[in-house]
Amino acid sequence: MFILSCIYSNKKYTESQFKHLIRVIILIILFMFNSCISQFIPSAGISADLLVVEGLITDQPGLNIIKLSISMPLGGRSITRSLSGGSVTVSDDMGNDYNLSETTQGTYIPDPSFQGVVGRSYTLHVNSGPTRNNVNYVSTPVLLKPVPPIDTVYYERQVLASASDGYPSQEGCQIYLATHDPENKCRFYRWEFEETWEFSLPYIVPNSHCWTTQYSTNINIKNTSSLSEDKIVKFPLNFVTNNTDRLKEKYSILVKQYSLNEEEYSYWEKLQNTIEQVGSLYDMTPESIPSNILCIERPEEKVLGYFSVSGVKSKRIFIKDQFRGIVDLYTDCENAVIGPVEDPVPGNLTLGVNAWVIIDHREPPPPYRIITFIKGCADCTSRGTTVEPDFWKDSK
Amino acid sequence: MKLRNLILIILLLATSKVGAQEKYKLSGSFKDLTFKEFVAKTEKLLPVKFFYKDEWINELKLGEYPDCSTLSCVLDNLFKGSALFYVIEESGNIVITNNYAVKISSLPVEKDNKFLPPSDFSSLSETQRTAEISSVEIGNPAEKNNPGKAAVSGYITNKDTREPVAGVTVFIQKLSLGAITNEYGFYTLTLPRGIYQVKFSFIGMREKTLNVNLYGAGELNTDMSSVLIPLKETVISAQKSVTLQRFEVGAEKINMNSFKLLPTSMGESDIIKSVLLLPGVQSVGEGSAGFNVRGGSADQNLILLYGAPIYNSSHFFGFFSAVNSDIIKDVTLYKGGIPSRYGGRISSVLDIGAKEGNKKEFSGNAGISPITAHLSVEGPIIKDTLTYDLTARTTYSNWILGLINDPSIHNSRASFYDFNGKITYDFNKNNKIDLSGYTSHDAFRFKSDTTYRYNNNVIALKWRHFFNSRLFSSISVNNSSYDYEVSSQYLQTEAFVLAHKINSTGFKADFNWFLGRNEINFGLDLTRYAINPGSYLPYGDSSVVAPTRLQMQRSWEGALYIDDKFLINDMLSVNLGLRMSSYFDFGPQTVMIYNPEFSKSTSTIIDTLNFKSGKVINKYAGPEFRVSLNYRISDKSSIKINYNRTRQYLHLLSNSTSISPTDTWKLSDYYIKPEIGDQVAAGFYEVFSNSFEASAEIYYKSIQNMIDFKGGTDFIMDDNIEKDIVNVKGKAYGLELVLKRTEGKLRYSIGYTYSRTFVRSISDFSEEMINSGKWFPANFDKPNDLIITFNYIFSRRFSISSNYTWSTGRPITYPVSTYAMYDEVLIHYSDRNKYRIPDYSRLDLSFQVNGNLRARRLIHPNWTFSVYNLLGRENVYSIYFKKVGDLYTGYKLSVFGRAIPSVTCSFDF
Repeated sequence: MFILSCIYSNKKYTESQFKHLIRVIILIILFMFNSCISQFIPSAGISADLLVVEGLITDQPGLNIIKLSISMPLGGRSITRSLSGGSVTVSDDMGNDYNLSETTQGTYIPDPSFQGVVGRSYTLHVNSGPTRNNVNYVSTPVLLKPVPPIDTVYYERQVLASASDGYPSQEGCQIYLATHDPENKCRFYRWEFEETWEFSLPYIVPNSHCWTTQYSTNINIKNTSSLSEDKIVKFPLNFVTNNTDRLKEKYSILVKQYSLNEEEYSYWEKLQNTIEQVGSLYDMTPESIPSNILCIERPEEKVLGYFSVSGVKSKRIFIKDQFRGIVDLYTDCENAVIGPVEDPVPGNLTLGVNAWVIIDHREPPPPYRIITFIKGCADCTSRGTTVEPDFWKDSK
Repeated sequence: MKLRNLILIILLLATSKVGAQEKYKLSGSFKDLTFKEFVAKTEKLLPVKFFYKDEWINELKLGEYPDCSTLSCVLDNLFKGSALFYVIEESGNIVITNNYAVKISSLPVEKDNKFLPPSDFSSLSETQRTAEISSVEIGNPAEKNNPGKAAVSGYITNKDTREPVAGVTVFIQKLSLGAITNEYGFYTLTLPRGIYQVKFSFIGMREKTLNVNLYGAGELNTDMSSVLIPLKETVISAQKSVTLQRFEVGAEKINMNSFKLLPTSMGESDIIKSVLLLPGVQSVGEGSAGFNVRGGSADQNLILLYGAPIYNSSHFFGFFSAVNSDIIKDVTLYKGGIPSRYGGRISSVLDIGAKEGNKKEFSGNAGISPITAHLSVEGPIIKDTLTYDLTARTTYSNWILGLINDPSIHNSRASFYDFNGKITYDFNKNNKIDLSGYTSHDAFRFKSDTTYRYNNNVIALKWRHFFNSRLFSSISVNNSSYDYEVSSQYLQTEAFVLAHKINSTGFKADFNWFLGRNEINFGLDLTRYAINPGSYLPYGDSSVVAPTRLQMQRSWEGALYIDDKFLINDMLSVNLGLRMSSYFDFGPQTVMIYNPEFSKSTSTIIDTLNFKSGKVINKYAGPEFRVSLNYRISDKSSIKINYNRTRQYLHLLSNSTSISPTDTWKLSDYYIKPEIGDQVAAGFYEVFSNSFEASAEIYYKSIQNMIDFKGGTDFIMDDNIEKDIVNVKGKAYGLELVLKRTEGKLRYSIGYTYSRTFVRSISDFSEEMINSGKWFPANFDKPNDLIITFNYIFSRRFSISSNYTWSTGRPITYPVSTYAMYDEVLIHYSDRNKYRIPDYSRLDLSFQVNGNLRARRLIHPNWTFSVYNLLGRENVYSIYFKKVGDLYTGYKLSVFGRAIPSVTCSFDF
């Protein structure tokens, strides 16, 4: 069955550049016709409480996590509503069952030594637990495909605006990825990445040097079945603009590469089409993309999310380079109470609660101090941690 | 002067021939003049006007008539021995007739018991003596005792517009026999020799009766005046709404004169935009290509130019019509009651009639608007025989884009052009050939690395032949193609060229045959299709793109049709039609076979079938019945009822709400069945108070085997489209009300439509169902639709026109909840089309100035000042939700964000 679907795999060429082209054409037309885009606030719709499954089984130990949650109404701050008390089992095509245990709320993990085996198929079984009437869900069996390693992750400096009239030039950093499968088998790729960077506050405060980490929030997929070789030389993975402090000191990106089977690729692609490719005149009719997980008792119930089974390879690079025109994030900090050190703190302010000292004893005398209202100006832990990550030394 | 070319008319007025003829004294010699020269000379000398058909007088030469001092004397001598007759009206019109004489009763009828001279024919009854009835003799009186029947045929024209009137009932009470005129206004009847009263009736026209002494075969032409008062003072001819004049329910003819007055967007007169002002026609939104007729999707409209189908009807993806309005003579939209000679599309036929070149002299038109410049020239190559008409249009939007100071737009290009040409060869009375060609081209470029182009090409050859006065034929062949091509070098290693093409070659033979009281249309319609669903090829040497070509689709569509239009009595007429439609899909083709127990997907393929070249993969065939019934209640009102079935084998694959630039055409295949549409419609039409028309139509329609897609599916370069398809069926119903004033200085039309359109997915698998298989509103379901158009003609030089549109917003799918997966916040959508965008409302205004009316002036400038969306309303085109940070925010997109003024200037020369 698998071989068949490989030979006759549907050729999909949803190149991002192609979509980009169409969007640009529309942009030109819209420009000519004075089109306008304004915010729209919908009347509150009825939200359905649906089960969300984020499931990942890989060929690596420690990366296997199943998360259960319940969907949220639109418009509110999106905080995940974890589903606690469910029971989760993964079985393989050899008849083995692996029970997962709930560690934190809604997060279920197998025995730490568990790792998937390339070539085997895995099936997810979920019972929603007593809070949701013990409903049972099951996924379709998913084959674990091998994944080739990432060849390189590299970057190119991009000029956003050249220097003019006293304004310095502005530069950003485009990060690319290259990979290939010598056996021409992988074909469908998905990537996730985490960015970690070092930053310092320009003031003499106790916590002035920190590290912070952010995870990718977009769908990054690529299909090479239109190419004669299973080879990607320049996948634009992430663009770092100049209006963050990521590029100021030192930046690192860890990329995880997953091999998808065609069904899962199709799921992510459809999701991307309906969620990210919007706002043109020719948007696809949006629709919820069916999951590979079904409700046993009520087959018509919609389940959100996907049970992924994949090989995984990762790669980390560090970027320490000079980029021009990095925006100073701290210009608002001194927009604050400035006065001699002796002055009492104004009555409506409480240091450490809604006001923070960022400068004491500025020279020349008389010494004065600046009290800011923004915590981020005075304490880098509001955005990160002072603990240097383990991998940071690797680059030294 | 043009009237001369018209087919002749008997202007029957109760005037005295004897009294009139003495009015025109004529002296001098006319020896050896041709008849035309004589006419020219006489018309200068005397206040008269001649009406005749050129072919009758070609050989005539004037002689010496020394004894003649009057015009009638000259004509009497001239026509002696020929088959020509003449009558001089009091008004000065001199009408020449061929083969029969016009006799005008010289005395008031009341005083004369026998106003028809040959009393040896059966005598007339008392009731027939009405003052308005004139009598006509047909044929040679010497033949009156010959055995057998005699054929009478002729043309009926509208007295005011000189246009042929289709659908007139010609009826003889005594024999209970009659006929209906065809689209050329032609009819024919076969009668025993004798005296008859022939009654001509048509809704909206004053009923007319003629007494006929039928001696032998001949012509009986006449004209009819409308019950509405014609307006002769204005430039715009008083054309009546043709809705009432048609046999079919739901046929709409667009009046080109009022079309030219409509407000424009960006200064371009646009035929598709004016179609949208008709009741029952809707679009998804501004700037979207295509239109929806009575709940049908955009690919269910057959758009014909020169008789050939047009596969992409727009420039700039829908902002402008691809067909230049300068070439259009008339446009007919059949939204129901599609005649049996048309087929292949379910919802409508939009037949664009192209004009022919000027037969007499060279003339032209040139103009500019904010977006385009256009030029058209026409004239004779051989006077009265061989003519040409050439039209070209192009944009200069590239220049506009070049002015914009944004680097990405500055370096971008967007342009289009189109060209139309037509040569008509009218080589004798019975044969006419025309050759027409059309090409349109759109091109876009973004920066220097990405381009998008699309083209339409049409070529058509048509031969019209009149076998005799009862059998007409029209034979045509045409080729039409549409293709697009995208190329990108954004990434050198993945540089590609993506292309799609549809090509069709059609052969059509149409016959129009008058047989007794029947008008029979029959013919053959054959089309061969070839589609390249997509090819994806490397572009440049460094590209590693693997060349891929999807399997070509080849097929034949064939149909035989016949319909019979006949009168049951002078009130009731019926049209019964049958179109036998068939379709064959040919190899070579590889077809996937799926496990029938599961929804189709790549993982459920169990086998493949290989069809060799020329082998039939699948065939579909079936009858299509087209039935209509027309009951004329009186001169001023009628009821029509209609049923028709249509089958469609060609589909446009589209997963967006409106037609998108990358949509591809697809033929029915192993899995995709033909779409079948059934429509029942009924209408009531009334003309009242001399200048108003009202109509009400209702319809119910059902469509089987429509195509929809599984959510989020993108099918560019998809070889096995069947696994992404959802089979849906549709139903639509509606009420269309129209009130019009078509005469006078102030003309207006108010149309209100209430209509609903629903679709429903049919499948055994939940993956192939939309909204769990329940009925849901289609994308273009806009229940309320109000359209008001008006124009006011101040004088020959100035006119103002305006239109207002209001409709319910179209259905839309909103997100209802959010969730997170791998740190990405995602949204979950409601059931399809559960919500609606806000109502649509737009007011347009235009003001026209015709610069100069002096005939001698070489150039006549015309100015049009137009404001589109006068109120500057931001009509919502779509609503979408986009992630900003971790939050989804709703946005509404308005295509026209403010009022768009434009000025168009054109010159006639």
